[in-house]
Amino acid sequence: MAVRTVISIACILGGFFFFFTATIGLLRFPDFYCRLHATGKGDTLAVLLSLIGLAVYHGFSITSIKIIFIAAFMSLAQPTATHAISRAAFRCGVRPWRKEEGKSDDTSL
Amino acid sequence: MTRSTDDIIIKTVSRVLVPFIQLFALYVIMHGHSSPGGGFQGGVILGASFILLVITYGLDQTKRRMSEKADAIFSSVGLLIYAGIGALCLILGGNYLNYGELSKILPVGLAEARALGILGIEIGVGIAVMAVMFSIFLDVSTGGLPPSDNSEEGP
Amino acid sequence: MCVGTGLCFLGLLCLYRGIFGPTVLNRMAGISAIGTKTLVLLMVMGFIYNRVDMFVDISVVYALLNFVGSLAAAKYLEMRGEV
Repeated sequence: MAVRTVISIACILGGFFFFFTATIGLLRFPDFYCRLHATGKGDTLAVLLSLIGLAVYHGFSITSIKIIFIAAFMSLAQPTATHAISRAAFRCGVRPWRKEEGKSDDTSL
Repeated sequence: MTRSTDDIIIKTVSRVLVPFIQLFALYVIMHGHSSPGGGFQGGVILGASFILLVITYGLDQTKRRMSEKADAIFSSVGLLIYAGIGALCLILGGNYLNYGELSKILPVGLAEARALGILGIEIGVGIAVMAVMFSIFLDVSTGGLPPSDNSEEGP
Repeated sequence: MCVGTGLCFLGLLCLYRGIFGPTVLNRMAGISAIGTKTLVLLMVMGFIYNRVDMFVDISVVYALLNFVGSLAAAKYLEMRGEV
């Protein structure tokens, strides 16, 4: 079963790569909306890839069906949570960052 | 906090997800003996599904599905199941929660009577925990005021 | 196991945004990201200790509660206003 192991390792490493880039985006972007963009999209795809890799590695059993259920639930619920947070920020009056002002959030690494 | 959200994405997604959350809560209650879970954890998840309904759809719509009177009845019924099974074992001639005595009235063996007794206890605890969590959330979010008082703040 | 250690380190990096974010909403986004990484870390730990069935149930419950918590916190912060 070498093919299954190779596919699962590729998926898990891809998921880890997307987690890494999403965290770097969360720390380095200059504005709140940019950071939310990075973590919302990157984290969802990373969770999806990692869970598919783990399910393929485990074989076909009742546990892997539960793992697919978690993946489907996260791919539906995480974008909704990101949308709720960004809508709350827009209602509170947080404005997007413009480059001409030369102002950024002062705790970006 | 108990006003309805006027956003269609959040309303639709929560409406789709609430039955699955409740189904998973029932799974957690039933499988308490062989996987992490049991009565308390399943009751908390079941209460969290009702809190999700209150957050996204508002207090009036949720009260049509689970009124305060039904909530009080649920908490009492859950406790009645728990204490009733204990008292039943006491009546049948054993200690207070000695489920082995249940094999005198049910046509099963001794070990299965114990398993059925534990399952009944978990169901009672789950229902009681769900009702109490929902009641505490309603009291804290409305400030104890009666529902006809329109003095809430919010968007 | 390397993936697990890396995920733990990334979670600690996200905690920086959770503590030092300029506003409350930044911290909210950081905490949600930490929750997602914890979910995958629990699954990987299940595979390391060879007891997958137990850790899968815990992961599903944590995903549900993370979602409900994010929605509730966002609604409360919208109501209270930006500090």
